Amino acid sequence: MSVQADMPVMRRSSRLSRTMLPYLLSLPALLVCIGILIPFGTAVYYSLQRYRMSQPWNRGMNWGENYLNFFTDPDFWNTLQVSLTYAGLTVVLELLLGLGIALLLQKRSRVNNFVSIMLLMPLMTAPALAALMFKLMTNSNFGILSYFMQLAGFQDFRWASSPDTALLTVILVDVWVYTPFIMILLLAGLRSLPTQPFEAAALDGVPRLEQFWRITLPMLSPYILTAALFRLLDSIQQFDIIYAMTQGGPGDKLMVFQVEAYLNFFQSTNVGRSAALLMILWAITYVLSNIFVKNWLRLRERARGEA
Amino acid sequence: MDHMSPLERILRAIALALVVLFFMFPIFWIVLMSLQTNETILRSPPSMAFVPTFKNYAAIIAGRLDSNVASMSIHFMGNLMNSVILSVGSVALALVLGVPAAYAFARHKFKGSEDIAFTLLSFRFAPPLLVLLPLTLYFQSLGLANTYVGLIWVYQLICLPLILWIVRGYFEDISPDIEHAYRIAGHGWFATFRKIALPLAGPGIAAAGLLAFIFAWNNFVFALVLASADKQPVTVGALAFVTASGIQYGQIAAAIVMSIAPTLLLALWAQKYLVEGLSLGAVKG
Amino acid sequence: MHEKEKDLISAFLSGGMSRRGLIKRLGALGLTAASAGTLHNLMATQALAAEFDWKKHSGKSIKLLLNKHPYTDAMIANLDAFKELTGMDVTYDVFPEDVYFDKVTAALSSGSSEYDAFMTGAYMTWTYGPAGWIVDHNEWINDPEKTNPMYNWADMLEGVRKSCAWNGVPGGELGSDDAKQWCIPWGYEQNNLTFNKAMLDKAGVAVPTNMSELMEAAAKVQADTDGIYGIGVRGSRSWATIHPGFLSAYSNFGEMDLTNEDGKLSAAMNTAGSKAFHADWVKMIQESGAADWSTHTWYQVGTDLGAGKSAMIFDADILGYFMNGGDNAMAGELAYAGFAANPEAKAPTPNIWIWSLAMTKASKDLDATWYFMQWASGPEHALFGARKMDFVDPVRNSVWEDEMFKEKLNKGYPGYVDMYNASAPGASIKFTPQPLFFDMTTDWAAMLQRMVAKEVPVDEGLDQLAASMNKQLAEAGLR
Repeated sequence: MSVQADMPVMRRSSRLSRTMLPYLLSLPALLVCIGILIPFGTAVYYSLQRYRMSQPWNRGMNWGENYLNFFTDPDFWNTLQVSLTYAGLTVVLELLLGLGIALLLQKRSRVNNFVSIMLLMPLMTAPALAALMFKLMTNSNFGILSYFMQLAGFQDFRWASSPDTALLTVILVDVWVYTPFIMILLLAGLRSLPTQPFEAAALDGVPRLEQFWRITLPMLSPYILTAALFRLLDSIQQFDIIYAMTQGGPGDKLMVFQVEAYLNFFQSTNVGRSAALLMILWAITYVLSNIFVKNWLRLRERARGEA
Repeated sequence: MDHMSPLERILRAIALALVVLFFMFPIFWIVLMSLQTNETILRSPPSMAFVPTFKNYAAIIAGRLDSNVASMSIHFMGNLMNSVILSVGSVALALVLGVPAAYAFARHKFKGSEDIAFTLLSFRFAPPLLVLLPLTLYFQSLGLANTYVGLIWVYQLICLPLILWIVRGYFEDISPDIEHAYRIAGHGWFATFRKIALPLAGPGIAAAGLLAFIFAWNNFVFALVLASADKQPVTVGALAFVTASGIQYGQIAAAIVMSIAPTLLLALWAQKYLVEGLSLGAVKG
Repeated sequence: MHEKEKDLISAFLSGGMSRRGLIKRLGALGLTAASAGTLHNLMATQALAAEFDWKKHSGKSIKLLLNKHPYTDAMIANLDAFKELTGMDVTYDVFPEDVYFDKVTAALSSGSSEYDAFMTGAYMTWTYGPAGWIVDHNEWINDPEKTNPMYNWADMLEGVRKSCAWNGVPGGELGSDDAKQWCIPWGYEQNNLTFNKAMLDKAGVAVPTNMSELMEAAAKVQADTDGIYGIGVRGSRSWATIHPGFLSAYSNFGEMDLTNEDGKLSAAMNTAGSKAFHADWVKMIQESGAADWSTHTWYQVGTDLGAGKSAMIFDADILGYFMNGGDNAMAGELAYAGFAANPEAKAPTPNIWIWSLAMTKASKDLDATWYFMQWASGPEHALFGARKMDFVDPVRNSVWEDEMFKEKLNKGYPGYVDMYNASAPGASIKFTPQPLFFDMTTDWAAMLQRMVAKEVPVDEGLDQLAASMNKQLAEAGLR
């Protein structure tokens, strides 16, 4: 398509297009996703029912009962606590580590570029399979990581099998898989920062550490927020790693939302409770991402102001 | 940045070495396992002394595996092909839909723009289980069950929000001045978008596309619930080595290596876009 | 094919010659037992065809949903015989076991008619049956029009057959007169001991015959050999931890999961007997179980035994069977024994897992699908699978009487046949069929994990478990 040929058309409709264009551009994306709303609506309906597939005769609307039951259900509060702890710890650890690695690799060089691509490999390993491999590597007999622990003097380190270290172990796997995600987003962000403020600061003799706190971090913050948001949304919905490593055990130590909802649905076929759990998870993520997005917009404005 | 003290240089090198060790050691170990049979993998203590064999790869590629007890046929190459079709298709569709939308959100503050953008994001955090099971019912009646088209549509849940929100950030970083100048020179909107905005946001689009590709590639619950065996991706395919007569660790390791390879090649190829910030900083200043 | 051999086999099939005689005579003609088996199968197929209209559904096509399993491999290897016999076409989707039941639930709950029949476990039919996803197979089994005269339903082991039948009433007795046959048994697993003979001998330990001997033997053999542990049992947070060795031993002491009073179910895990047994079991794992027991599934239990890292397992006999072959370090070193945990018990009473076949209610042609079902669960295919493939444990008496099969077992799997014979009469499902089966067993496993980790004392843990179970039963309207 030649640009010239387009022009008259564009000109003629320019007033119309100015108002309609953004809608036209964003609508297809919205339409494609809107279909998802129908099953979503169905799930909301299920969450308001007493609905266990193995007892069809008991099925019926019980309105908010599934939700109300959660208030007095210690399992639910445990699930909430474990999910939030897991999400909080993984996101913070991965942000710190990801930012650190991005700073190490910030300088443009062949080696740094190559290393940054190589570091993406954990992310390319499907979490379910990565967890299977980690389960073997932490096996008390054949596991290389257990062997290293023994060499380091920890004779009886039981990784995911012990209630004391299970959370630590799955967080380790999560950090291994997903830190590269944050690293690559922040690296791209770091490298796209304008050079002028840094040059000016250097001329003024501002120490590098202060440059980092006063220029780099504020300007990078929208990127950090985007990365954190996507990690948080995934992390609070963690399933693959935890299910493959411990199925939520030992005891109820790692019963996060998705594992509990999965067991409720696929094993107990308790559709009503499963859907209600997932709706709560959805509400939590909705609120969290709302907060994030608001701040994101604000930080962008500020970052632009400083640039 | 160029005047680091020698001490800092050394500390940085050590830190980087530790980072590489932490992230690459498990990969290295998986590659080693892929060259062994269970007999040497399952030794205690684990050891690196073994005679490498390409049996696992050969078996996967040939589609026949003589396992513990019986020989079984596997369709891993078919799974690999499905992964390629699903991931490429989903990312392509997400780019076609998401990049213009991202541009609209970044450039035009229109009524409801933030709401639409947020709605699109919210699809990302609808727990997959929540929509998947009702979806099986609707897919049956729509005739979308067991089709790539249906799956690619559902994969938009993963790809579209990611692309939209990352690319939007990049568009917002580009100063609108250049586009204005180009428009004033008499060029249309589409030409401006294509000749100026797209190339400038190129690295961001490439990075977002690659990440979306990786997430699509790693997914398995969508295809598992919505499609029959011949449409399953590698993530499901690799589980075939978890057999009643034992877990074939060597084959799983080989399957992981083979499933990482295409993505890695793609990333290496797109390296320049991924990590080069381009000359964006200069434009902005 | 040579006429002489055909005649011999025909003579055998018509009853004029014993099996052993047949094999001997064929051997004289230069045929090995194995190829005689194939020949016999082919002829048998022809014999089947003579008395029943196998071609009735010729030209039709059915689709199966299968789990990646040696039983599946055996069926696929023999599938051409079915296609030839009936003129039907069979396609299938095979999914890995890790995700298989999720796929089944997804497919069945969507009401899809894609799959006509599928593999299942008996426990799962306690969900599928009441949910209305599967049929009562009695309707076909008892219809001579639809079932070939050689099918011989009575040949199926009684305990196994009845374990697959339930009247659908929560707490109803398995195999009662009004029971519906929700699935057709295909192959099953008894839970008994598989042990590393050399390790036991080295430690001077005899094969344990009850719970306290087992605990003692496990501790002793573990102390005797460096780098191994005494006894492998499953421990992951899953229903699958409860049903193998654990429940087999538990029920050998006469303990129950639930009690049923006039249709009202109550938890029975906190009786004095149950507490005593749990205390022993927990102690056994703490002292001589795997260090990472709480993540052990079928796979880890098997792998450790096969790699020579555990001295014994109390789990499915066929897991021990698999580990005695292939590239396992301990292949050929393993032996088997029936196990009665209760010193007072006369015989072992293993709880069992039954891989079965079931027809989906949504199937468009159940009669045609039944043709496949009766062939796949029929005596001929069972014999083929048992002799030539790894179709253990077969569910038919006639197969267990087959000399060729027994010879194969005796040669490579010492003690297997004796173990089987000792425990088969008592083998059945020991759980109470009810809709909360998976909730109950998963919670049970989680509580075991907490008890083994010493997070809660056994007594207290069981009281908590029973209370929680009673609450759930009440909420589901079962109490």
